[in-house]
Amino acid sequence: MKIIPIALRNISRKRVRSAITIGSMAFAGFIMLFFAALGQGMLYTMEQNAVGVYLGDIQIHAPGYRSDPDLYTRVPDPAALVDKLEKAGFHAAPRLYGFGLAAASGNSSGIWMRGVDLIREPKVTLLDRQVMEGAWLSADKPKEVVIGKKLAYTLGVKPGGEIVVVSQAADGAMANDIYHVRGILKSVGDAVDQGGFLMVDAEFRRLMGVAEGTHEIAVARVDKDRILAEAADTVASLAPGMEVKTWRDLQPVLAKMIDVMDISLLFMLFIAYSAVGMVILNATLMNVFERIREFGVMKAIGVTPPQVFSLIMAEAVLEAVIANVLALGAGIPVVRYFEVHGIDLSNFSSGASLAGLALDPVWYCKLNTKALTMPVWFMFAVVLAAVIYPAMKAALLKPLDAMHHQ
Amino acid sequence: MDIPIIVLENVTKVYHQGKIDVTAIDGFSVTVNKGDFTALCGPSGSGKTTILNIIGALDVPTAGRVTLEGNDLAALSRTALSSMRRDRIGFVFQAYNLIPVLTAYENAEFVLALQGKPEKERRARVMEMLQEVGLEGLENRRPEELSGGQQQRVAIARAMVTQPAVILADEPTANLDSATAAALLTIMEHLNTVHGITFLFSTHDQRVMDRARRIITLRDGKLAGDERKG
Ligand SMILES: Nc1ncnc2c1ncn2[C@@H]1O[C@H](COP(=O)(O)OP(=O)(O)OP(=O)(O)O)[C@@H](O)[C@H]1O
Ligand SMILES: [Mg+2]
Repeated sequence: MKIIPIALRNISRKRVRSAITIGSMAFAGFIMLFFAALGQGMLYTMEQNAVGVYLGDIQIHAPGYRSDPDLYTRVPDPAALVDKLEKAGFHAAPRLYGFGLAAASGNSSGIWMRGVDLIREPKVTLLDRQVMEGAWLSADKPKEVVIGKKLAYTLGVKPGGEIVVVSQAADGAMANDIYHVRGILKSVGDAVDQGGFLMVDAEFRRLMGVAEGTHEIAVARVDKDRILAEAADTVASLAPGMEVKTWRDLQPVLAKMIDVMDISLLFMLFIAYSAVGMVILNATLMNVFERIREFGVMKAIGVTPPQVFSLIMAEAVLEAVIANVLALGAGIPVVRYFEVHGIDLSNFSSGASLAGLALDPVWYCKLNTKALTMPVWFMFAVVLAAVIYPAMKAALLKPLDAMHHQ
Repeated sequence: MDIPIIVLENVTKVYHQGKIDVTAIDGFSVTVNKGDFTALCGPSGSGKTTILNIIGALDVPTAGRVTLEGNDLAALSRTALSSMRRDRIGFVFQAYNLIPVLTAYENAEFVLALQGKPEKERRARVMEMLQEVGLEGLENRRPEELSGGQQQRVAIARAMVTQPAVILADEPTANLDSATAAALLTIMEHLNTVHGITFLFSTHDQRVMDRARRIITLRDGKLAGDERKG
């Protein structure tokens, strides 16, 4: 017996029933896809906040720098290393760090100065897109700086405001100069918020008297699907003698939290999925029980129990295939829309932060492999689980009982 | 020369309904020969449907022995019974006869498809059979688009098309007006004489009994008469 053509005929001829079954499955699939994408979007945003805003995927330091961030502990010849990394499928941005004191209009605060490579940094992090007021750094305005949100508040400055900076240069002499605020960052994390003082790298080198080397190289994978640990091994082989750490090593608490979040998100999805699973289950059960008599006739004229079973399974699977096509067809554009246009929850929550990282109050969807495949597999699993029992029952019923089934 | 095709020996069927036992068939024995055109008569509740179901292996007797073409039904496996129903028996039930999503053509073709017959042969046989039962032109209608008599004729065509050894029909004319019933009987007689297929059908209808060549009468599940004509 050709199961598939008969199954297709059953689906196409019972229009209303098939429409209800497929429609509710497709609706469920759509909801599942949306939730999965929203969950992935939240995780992605969190990871972006951690990695994308200032950590980078991987960081390179000279040995000992992390425990004692000394101006003299530097990675030698960063230009050559950056070049090698770029050839190996990475973006890399050298960074310079130093501490100092800033004063403005009678207020003062400790600052964490940072020399930024204006060409490479935007390839590794999204720091240049975090400006809340004013503008990002510019190579032709070396005396203009971008500072953290809380630092601006502490110093009482706005874009255009003047800041005096005092520090100790590499040669031991006093370094001091006057800068103007070019931009203020939005909240990106406690350390940057409170002390972030960003300047053009050439200006940093001049102020601090650092001619050679760099304190940190932030590295990002060009291909985001590349496995982090393997990428770190490659980076380590290109930077012998240097300390190479992934963002997970650098922010273990955050990494752990994101992992926990991933699991709890799965759990929440499972609850949401189970609710829509009931819809699928119900539609599938009705579909089979409504037709017990029909199966009775088939069995009476010689269809074997395995054939009845396969027919019911084939119908359910075909319906699930159609439902998935519809769900994805409707869901992908919607999810794509919300990938660009976030759902703004800032009216409900404001400025939450997690492990020193700001939580974005705008939720975006993220359509990755996980968000795309989870609903599809789940739908097939629910449909199969839902249909096995009635299919077995229909297959094993005595034809007479089935024909007299009310 | 009579070749026995259906043999019932001392068949008893007891239904348990709660605490009450209903004896539907009570020590019934009969032999139907190849080529017979036999009516099974009796008042409502006398056990006609039960007998047909037992012969068709849709139901099992509580006691007694049923053989079809020499095979003891009790000795056959589920699968063997399925293929016997598919290949050797044609069923015409009183109701719920056809598969609602299939057209007249597809209903008639269904068992041939189950048997794995090639498309060409199926088409030839189905078209011939639909023509014999007077349904040409209605091949693409679905059961809900056919009258009761037309549906019953599709059922007969489906039962006939595999050229089974036996056709079991449970009150095939019950839902039909007398003209349609008479026409259907003519078709059955024709198939019986031309193809030599054995018919066993239950009926209440005197006009149908008049055209049977043998009348077996049941009363309270027992044999109450067995009359051969001509
Ligand atoms: N599934 C069943 N459970 C219990 N009793 C049954 C069942 N099927 C039939 N019976 C009983 O068995 C007896 C014979 O029923 P059967 O259907 O064979 O009669 P029938 O001659 O076909 O009647 P009718 O002419 O009304 O169709 C009746 O008393 C009926 O109530
Ligand atoms: Mg009956």
